[in-house]
Amino acid sequence: MSLKLKALLKSPWVFHLSTGSCNNCDIETLDCLTPRFDIERFGMLLVGSIKHADVLLVSGSCNRMSVERMKELFEQVPKPCLVVAIGTCAGSRGIFKDSYNCPVPLDKIIPVDVYIPGCPPKPEAIIAGAVKLIEKIGGTL
Amino acid sequence: MIREEVLLDFTSRFHADILDLEDKSNTRVYVTITPESIVRIGTYLFRNIGARFNIATATDLPPKIEILYHFIVEDINLLISLRVFLDREKPEIESLAKEIEAFNWIEREMSELLGITFTGHPDPRRLLLADNWPEGVCPLRQDYEEWDETVDRTRGI
Repeated sequence: MSLKLKALLKSPWVFHLSTGSCNNCDIETLDCLTPRFDIERFGMLLVGSIKHADVLLVSGSCNRMSVERMKELFEQVPKPCLVVAIGTCAGSRGIFKDSYNCPVPLDKIIPVDVYIPGCPPKPEAIIAGAVKLIEKIGGTL
Repeated sequence: MIREEVLLDFTSRFHADILDLEDKSNTRVYVTITPESIVRIGTYLFRNIGARFNIATATDLPPKIEILYHFIVEDINLLISLRVFLDREKPEIESLAKEIEAFNWIEREMSELLGITFTGHPDPRRLLLADNWPEGVCPLRQDYEEWDETVDRTRGI
C-alpha cells in the first residue's frame, strides 16, 4: 500500500455527488453524518469541494446531463481516490436500465471500489460499506 | 360560488366548445374541449373563476395525443381537468404561456418529450433533454426507438 493511500485512510474525506437520484440515497447518506450514526468518529467528513475529497460517493442512475458533470468532477479529485456507489441505481441502474436518459452504467464510466446496494441503503449499510472499503484497501479502524 | 353554479356558468358559457363532460366525483370533473378553444377557456378559468393552474400532463395514446390541463378551484375544492385530443401526426395547439406565465416550463417540457408544437410560445427552447439529443426524437412517444449507438443496456461490471 502506498504512503499516500495509507494517509488517506486515516481520515477519508468524502464528497457526495448525486447523478439524478430520487434523493432517498442522499437523505440516508446525510443521516450517517448526524449524531445518531456519527460517521465522523471514523474520521470521515463531508466536504464541500471535490478538491478536498479522498472518496467520491455517487448516488443516482447517471443520466445524460449529469454524466458530463461527473466526468469533470472525477478528473478534479486528487488521486489516489476511491469511488463508492450508493444505492441500486448507482450500482446497477435498477429500474432505469432501459431508460432513454440513462445510457451507460456508472462502473463503465469510472472505476468503482465499493457497491452499497439497497433502495435506499440503511445508514448502517453505508457504514458497513465504508468499513469494508477501508479493509479492502488494507487499513484498519 | 358553489360547485353547481361554477359548472353551470362554465358549461353555459362554452357549450359550443365542450365535447364531453365527465362528472367523475365530488371533487373532480373532466371536460373534453376542442383544441381551438383552449386559450379562451383556460384564461377564463384562471382569471374569472379564480382557479389555480396546477399542472398539465400529456400522454401518447395512438392515434391521438391527449393533454390534460388541471385547474383547481380551491374555494369549492374542485379539480377541473380540461382534456384536449390532438392529431398524432401533426400535434399543434395554441400556447397558454403568453397569457399565463405558469404554463411556460410545462409547455416546453411537453413539446420536447412528446413533440407537441405550441404556437405562440414566448420561449420555445429545450428544457430537460441533453444537449446532444437529436432534434425531432421524442422519448415519450410509443414508437420511440433507440438512436444512440453507444448505449449499454447491461447491469454494469
